Amino acid sequence: MSYLEHNLKTVPTGLRKILYFNWGLALLLTAVASVGFIMLYSVAGGTLMPWSEPQMKRFAVGFVLMFFVGMVPIWFWRNIAGLAYIATFILLLVVEFFGDVGMGAQRWIDLGFMRLQPSELMKINVVMLIAAYYDWLDIKKVSRPLWVLIPVVIILLPTALVLKQPDLGTAILLLTGGAIVMFCAGVHWAYFAAVIASGVGLVSAVFASRGTTWQLIKDYQFRRIDTFLDPSMDPHDAGYHITQSKIALGSGGWSGKGFMQGTQSRLSFLPEKHTDFIFTTLAEEFGFIGCITLLVLYGLIILFCISSAIDNKNRFGALVTLGIASTFFLFYAVNMAMVMGLAPVVGVPLPLVSYGGSAMLVLMVAFGVVQSAHIHKPRGR
Amino acid sequence: MSIRTPLRPLARILDARNKGENPDAIERENLRLRHEDMRDKSRQRAEGRLLVLGLCFTVAFGTIGARMGFMANAEPAEPRSAAIGTPILAQRADIVDRNGRVLATNLITNALYAQPMQMIDPEHCADELVKIFPDLNRDRLIKDFTGTRKFLWIKKKLSPEQMQAVHDIGDPGLLFGPREMRLYPNGKLAAHILGGASFGREGVASAEVIGVAGVERAFDDYLRDPANADQPLQLSIDLTAQSTAREVLAGGMAIMGAKGATSILMDLHSGEVVSMVSLPDFDPNNRPRPLTAGHAADSPLFNRAVQGVYELGSTFKIFAAAQAMELGVAGPDTLIDTQPPFRWGKFSIGEFDGHSYGPTATLTKVIEVSSNVGTAHVAQMIGVERQQEFLKSLGFFEATPVELIEASTGKPLLPKNWSELSTLTISYGHGLSASPLHLATAYSSLLNGGTRVAPTLIKHSGPVEVGPRVVSQEVSALSRMMLRRVVTEGTASFGDVKGYSVAGKTGTADKPKENGGGYYDDKVIATFASVFPSNDPKYVLIVTLDEPQIMGAGQLRRTAGWTAVPVAAEIIHRVAPLLGLRPDIESASLDGVTLSASN
Repeated sequence: MSYLEHNLKTVPTGLRKILYFNWGLALLLTAVASVGFIMLYSVAGGTLMPWSEPQMKRFAVGFVLMFFVGMVPIWFWRNIAGLAYIATFILLLVVEFFGDVGMGAQRWIDLGFMRLQPSELMKINVVMLIAAYYDWLDIKKVSRPLWVLIPVVIILLPTALVLKQPDLGTAILLLTGGAIVMFCAGVHWAYFAAVIASGVGLVSAVFASRGTTWQLIKDYQFRRIDTFLDPSMDPHDAGYHITQSKIALGSGGWSGKGFMQGTQSRLSFLPEKHTDFIFTTLAEEFGFIGCITLLVLYGLIILFCISSAIDNKNRFGALVTLGIASTFFLFYAVNMAMVMGLAPVVGVPLPLVSYGGSAMLVLMVAFGVVQSAHIHKPRGR
Repeated sequence: MSIRTPLRPLARILDARNKGENPDAIERENLRLRHEDMRDKSRQRAEGRLLVLGLCFTVAFGTIGARMGFMANAEPAEPRSAAIGTPILAQRADIVDRNGRVLATNLITNALYAQPMQMIDPEHCADELVKIFPDLNRDRLIKDFTGTRKFLWIKKKLSPEQMQAVHDIGDPGLLFGPREMRLYPNGKLAAHILGGASFGREGVASAEVIGVAGVERAFDDYLRDPANADQPLQLSIDLTAQSTAREVLAGGMAIMGAKGATSILMDLHSGEVVSMVSLPDFDPNNRPRPLTAGHAADSPLFNRAVQGVYELGSTFKIFAAAQAMELGVAGPDTLIDTQPPFRWGKFSIGEFDGHSYGPTATLTKVIEVSSNVGTAHVAQMIGVERQQEFLKSLGFFEATPVELIEASTGKPLLPKNWSELSTLTISYGHGLSASPLHLATAYSSLLNGGTRVAPTLIKHSGPVEVGPRVVSQEVSALSRMMLRRVVTEGTASFGDVKGYSVAGKTGTADKPKENGGGYYDDKVIATFASVFPSNDPKYVLIVTLDEPQIMGAGQLRRTAGWTAVPVAAEIIHRVAPLLGLRPDIESASLDGVTLSASN
């Protein structure tokens, strides 16, 4: 007798589900997306086109999607996790190897109304599959090497493909998102310690090899690292983004220059000003207060997810909620760190705020799964 | 680790049996307890994990928040956009001639760019822009302004009038970026010397100016150094002499239908180039693109004076004569065998146009009439090695060291195998190709009293350093005397300019065919290498015409005596006074006049 069947009787059914829908989370998501609409309106020079309006439409579609995904029972999502993973993996292979035949060597597949990036979908699918795996796996076996190997393979396969594209940002998100689910599932900490230690060892080995005969990476790669560590060294080329965004952040000050008053980002100093670097516009126009507000909104989303997961007796539901929350966290943490010069420029958008269809819709579907886990968690003890 | 509770503890089962209960219930109960225990443990662990994760998130939040605060609190560096409209300094140093007249300077101008995003009325903008700049394409502009482009350059340089006109369109999408532009106020004059400059890296607020050719390139580092901004680069060029030489040369080239022409005027004591002209030329303000097909020498960018290497013909004869005198193997009056033809193996050396200058002639006469046979006999006396050594000392083995980026490409062509026959032909200027600047340098070294000079485009300051000796004073003077006789008695009779005692040697070389296989019989390089005044030498002038021809005395003439010499004479006639030389009134003109004191 699985506890899942046992719990079936205690989850809400029918229209009552709407009452259990996590309306607070939905409100927070809308608030964050609205920040995006406002910023896109500003960078376009005070017009809804070409960015703000399509973004609103996408969010509306995403919101409806989230609602319906949330209404579908969570065990359905658990059961199709494997299938979804395989399908997305095949799509990844298609764009990787047949991209130039059908799609002009791009990372996306044209669906007509939008361009789908399989790598975006993969971020969620990896989390779902690993959550499903640990739901299925006997708790006693969680830390046995052979059983640890399986999720590692699940994570590394798409990561390798994405790295080949090359898309370092997505690779980092896949790797870390999957690892966090494994960590939450209770895999022995020694594994993580070992991976982190060997990672640190590898990095120091690479640096130690610099200028020697056994140099591990190319000179130009070292220069990129140098530029990251000190962008002012090369303010024209590689360090341009960071230098300019730092100027924008610095000139915003505490309260900012005011809505539509930012010069740095609106005057085309920053390429990608409406996508990966939209945070600079926010920082310039609304200053520290605006940035902290967005950060708090993001933080509340994570908090809502964690609090939903913490008393969820459904292991899949809890794990998938944590995994999606972590991926979401990584999204904005990496983006903000990148814009503020704390991390190298790897090309991760600011979730729900940056202009872009794939990322927005995939995130909304993911939050639909979170909603589903929330609605269908066993209640009424 | 606690001791595992057995699922069926014997004592309890026995006890249960005694009470008549089902002992399996105990097992089930224990199983349930164990399960719950395990669930609790994993739950505990999961909560611990969640705590760690939450801690990590909090730390990340804290870091980002702190960084935000730090950056918000940092001294707000004003965005670069504030730089728009502020003038940039005219930094690149000027280039001036030997008297301080400006050859190259800077002009503040503006570039025009568009930001279609900010544009109000793209069609109106395009219409107005086409009115101001007729070379722009209206449809193209509209396409650019309404497409996805966010930024585009429209014009790199604007005149103030054009800028005002664009300003009057009044569209916020049309913007100006200040530019420092290189300006050559004299246009084509001295084009090959100056070379030109262009923009390097370009930004909205400024653009880098870099030298692309000539002295602009050769002295790029000096000119760019902000420390030298008010210390112009002073060239040895004299603007008036340059202008005059160019004018006369262009006229001569036109009259004689020549394909190209070059002249070099050099101070023979210092090696300073006072004027250097290469035609056809170009305007360095609007430098043409290099040719993509055909021969580089056909481009106006080609500097014939420095890059063009030609067989310079009979102008070389004086080197053989001077060396013979220096070595003591012949004097000016030594009789030389001039009986044509001079047979060497299967080769036979004859005179121009089948002439004959008799069985013997003095060395002076050999030069005067330009006898190939006589010069070859002199070269035979000198021998291969001594000839090589002498020509090397005159600079014919290396590219000229002049301060032009193009100089290194003007490497002389030497025979691969310098046989005795090579020595004979080189003595009268065939088999060795060199640039006119090589010839100017060699003539200067030979005729200035016999010390080596190096060609330079930079004005000397202070006394001239005397170079290593090439020939003795006496041989230098005798050489000048011989060259003077070429003008007074010989092939360069059109070269006499009253009062300036011109001396020089003509040279007419058939042009070799481009794809090998002998020489053209109707295309020549005609050169006149001259020195003036011959009694107190000051300047060497080389004039070279490429494929000249002119009707003279009833026939089509190509030889230097008919082509290069009159052009050179005209240059000397006009330039000498500009250089401050006073005509030396010859006493002969005073014959028959009686001087009397007037009280």
